[in-house]
Amino acid sequence: MKIDLKKFAAWFDDRLALTPIFKYMTKKEIPQHEHSLWYYTGSSILLFLVIQIVTGIMLAFYYKPTLEGANDSIARIMTEMPLGWLVRSIHSWSATFMIAFVMIHMIAIMLTKSYRKPREATWMTGMMLIVVSMIFGFTGYLLPWDDLSLSATKVGTNIPAAIPVVGKWVTQFLRGGDDVTGDTLTRFFIFHVCILPLVIFAILIVHILLVQKEGMSVPLKDEIAKKTVPALPFWPNFVLREVIIWLLLLGTLLTVSLLLAPSLGPSADLLAPAPKGVKPEWYFLFLFQTLKIFPGNIGPVTGEFVAVVIILVGILGIFFVPFLDNKPETIKGRLFTYLTYFGVIYAIVFSIWSLL
Amino acid sequence: MRGIRILCLLAMVSLVLTPLAALQTSTTPASGPPAKAEVKAGAKPAAAPEAKPAGKPAATKAPVKRTEPVVPAYSDIKQRSAVIVFYVWLWFSIAVLVYFLLQWVKEADRVYKAKYYEPEESPRKGNPMAPALGE
Repeated sequence: MKIDLKKFAAWFDDRLALTPIFKYMTKKEIPQHEHSLWYYTGSSILLFLVIQIVTGIMLAFYYKPTLEGANDSIARIMTEMPLGWLVRSIHSWSATFMIAFVMIHMIAIMLTKSYRKPREATWMTGMMLIVVSMIFGFTGYLLPWDDLSLSATKVGTNIPAAIPVVGKWVTQFLRGGDDVTGDTLTRFFIFHVCILPLVIFAILIVHILLVQKEGMSVPLKDEIAKKTVPALPFWPNFVLREVIIWLLLLGTLLTVSLLLAPSLGPSADLLAPAPKGVKPEWYFLFLFQTLKIFPGNIGPVTGEFVAVVIILVGILGIFFVPFLDNKPETIKGRLFTYLTYFGVIYAIVFSIWSLL
Repeated sequence: MRGIRILCLLAMVSLVLTPLAALQTSTTPASGPPAKAEVKAGAKPAAAPEAKPAGKPAATKAPVKRTEPVVPAYSDIKQRSAVIVFYVWLWFSIAVLVYFLLQWVKEADRVYKAKYYEPEESPRKGNPMAPALGE
């Protein structure tokens, strides 16, 4: 029996109207220049997000978000499920890879000033995605329910308490009470598997649509010189290059997950004192160290409050950078480039300092 | 170009199917206790034999709290071998796929530079094979 694939494709096309999308894909072009490599970081983030979803679903089949069951269920995943420890390791490492690529993507956009008009909204949705990714990491850190994750969550959820008026309420909302308990665990699990995935998908769709609408940015100097930048077709030339990068990243991720699989500590004891050397995930280390360097009191307010305000102002500054750096070709624009370098060096130095 | 595409497809299918077949053999749980004091992941601790006095009902036992960390490890030599085979195969498949994809990229770039798909400048214009190709 001869199967007519053309008829089969036409049937789908009639119902889903895919032809305009395919036509758009074949007509879409990607600028080629010395910074083109950074274009590939965006799709790499998507790759790690897909891996997170797949491995996360596999872990959720056996995970129990209760005080009694959380740690034991992960121990069960690691000891009884076939290659469960590897699935958990891939989930953990793909989160690390994803956030690392999110940061690289963000720094590249900062340095190439791709956030400039008309891509302000793209930048802002991207910043929202970074924040959601970090909250994903924060909520996921508690789920193994060992001493380290409990203590780190106690420290983390206590930070908003330094903000006047709403701070205490935010802390209570995050913890589901005055202290970190089983309710916090359930709450964090619901955030991690229900609320945050919905939020990240909603923002991601808007971000991708905006990227498609505005297209890829070209280097600032070429834009000022009104130079025509050579382009590459999205399909198949750019997609094939992306596939090569995905394959290499996939191999690297699986190898790292195999060689450096995370262990699991004993179940957390709510009454036990905090263990020594409590550290958050690596992407929070510089913020953690920033909080530590402030003295107990600065004048009439606490040092923690000042640190939280500085961090919030910094985040807001980065969020609205397309409006602050609205003339990127001027001295003001160069100042923002230097500020980006300063921010990167600051994060690296403070993260290392925190580990010492 | 079509040959390269078919080879890429075959390599991708084998990349997925072969490790699945290899891992199918690795699902057997371990039979013995772990060698070290820590609980090793993948290694199922052997059930402790419980002495039950005859005629008496079994007393309800409170679950024992684990105090050692769970360290990731293979359940047995079979699983270890399967994982090693999988990783060797993974990198081999990636190398083969990357090679063919690079060939495909070169070909796609050449076709694009030749403006093959632009009707005004296409070298296909006047191609005697055009009717046979359905153009």
